Amino acid sequence: MKVQPHRIKYYVLGFYLLLLTVWQGLFSAQVLPDYLFPSPWQVVRRLWELAADNYLWPSLKATFQRMGIGFSIAATAGLLIGLLMGMSRVVNSCLRSLFLGLQTLPTAAWVPVSLLIYGLSDRGIYFVIIMSSAPAVAIATSDGVLHIPRIYLQVARTLGTPAYAMPVRIILPASLPSIVTGMKLGWTLAWHGGVSAELIKSTIGLGFLLQMGRELNDAAQVIGIMVLTVIFGVLLDQFVFGLIQKRILLRWGLSQKA
Amino acid sequence: MTAADPNPEAPAEAHPVKLKLTNVSKLYANASKPVAALQPISAEIRAGEFVVFFGPSGCGKSTLLNLIAGFEEPTEGEITLDGARVEGPHYDRLMLFQEHGLFPWLNVIENVLFGLKRQFRFKPKARRQKAREFLQMVHLDQFEKAPIHELSGGMKQRVALARALAPDPKVLLVDEPFPALDALTRAKLYGDLQEIFLRTKKTIILVTHDPREAACLGDRVLVFSGRPGRIKADIAIHLPRIRDINDPKVADYAKTIMSQLEGPADESPAT
Repeated sequence: MKVQPHRIKYYVLGFYLLLLTVWQGLFSAQVLPDYLFPSPWQVVRRLWELAADNYLWPSLKATFQRMGIGFSIAATAGLLIGLLMGMSRVVNSCLRSLFLGLQTLPTAAWVPVSLLIYGLSDRGIYFVIIMSSAPAVAIATSDGVLHIPRIYLQVARTLGTPAYAMPVRIILPASLPSIVTGMKLGWTLAWHGGVSAELIKSTIGLGFLLQMGRELNDAAQVIGIMVLTVIFGVLLDQFVFGLIQKRILLRWGLSQKA
Repeated sequence: MTAADPNPEAPAEAHPVKLKLTNVSKLYANASKPVAALQPISAEIRAGEFVVFFGPSGCGKSTLLNLIAGFEEPTEGEITLDGARVEGPHYDRLMLFQEHGLFPWLNVIENVLFGLKRQFRFKPKARRQKAREFLQMVHLDQFEKAPIHELSGGMKQRVALARALAPDPKVLLVDEPFPALDALTRAKLYGDLQEIFLRTKKTIILVTHDPREAACLGDRVLVFSGRPGRIKADIAIHLPRIRDINDPKVADYAKTIMSQLEGPADESPAT
């Protein structure tokens, strides 16, 4: 079946409507008792109540604040370490294996150790966010540096660029496409890590609302917060990092529809 | 052979020696034994001369260009520019590469400005003015704000040319410049390059494996043969500029240049 590109969005819309219908259908068929498996409408209503009771907004704000601070630190550290890895073979060989190893850890696996070190403080959440995402940013950045087309470096040298000016004038901008890809992945991992940490460590935030839903045996709240977590994660991934990435790839001549 | 003829069109012999190569050789360390890329070569290139290094691939002509640019060091021998020994890359021996190598994160004029950044004797405003002049010279002054990905292949090469000229190098080194372009665009660029050569009186060394290109552009063509590379002939081209690549006289010279490679005395096969 050949579908015209501009019509694909209707199919996607249809798919989600179908998904909602199936959900509603399963609910109506009473496959599980309704206190375990709420209807879409119950979920929306619960979210609305949370918002009206002034639970939702402060929690969203808290989560985003933690993410903002934690991810900024992670991105900066990852970027600097990645640049260093890209410029020194020794540093790269040592850290790459370590970071690839750390990346096999589920982000939630950082929560227990952060509890041990920081107890129930926000610093522990930052710790989890940073450990979850910084290695990914560092690896992507170093990949970018290692794959800089040789011609850029040669041109810069023949134009008289001194070695100390190379990182800022050539290496950083030339590896920007990889860096942004790393930031995008890093953001997703930070989001995973941050919400996981909030499950256990906090009294506010999306993860906390999730955990509170479980404690209240409120399936509608649990599912509602899960849906919200997905929506905000995707929004930032697609509409912030995705758009920046698209622009950079186009400008760098790496996009397919150049 | 035409090597010893006086050259009325470009009396370069009257000009001082710009670049002097004295017994320059290059060995590459191989696993088993060193491989000679260049046999000791001596040559003089005078100020304002357009010299072409011509030869088959693997004849060492690009190696020699890299040595002059300072990207590599000769195993033995010496290269001097205006009497001073060359060391490392510097914009006074500026290389124009096969690939344009324009920086995509900068627009057209920012690319041209890149090489001017370190010339502190110019104020920022003067630098921009200078960059504009060179863009005018390659007929791209209308495109100074354009991002690189919007330019055609020929335009990109012209921006690269303007960028290479802007820092006012003493010698412009050109490495097989216009390979991936269509014939029409190339013919136009040959014209542009000669026009710029006449206007700026720059010393230019260009490397090519195309005998027509060599005959069209050079005042002198040094014919290289491999391997190891050595200079087999030194041919002066007596044709008025601006030369057309399709001019039969250019073709005649191209034939002369080619015949130097097919000489019987050559011990090793070309390519």
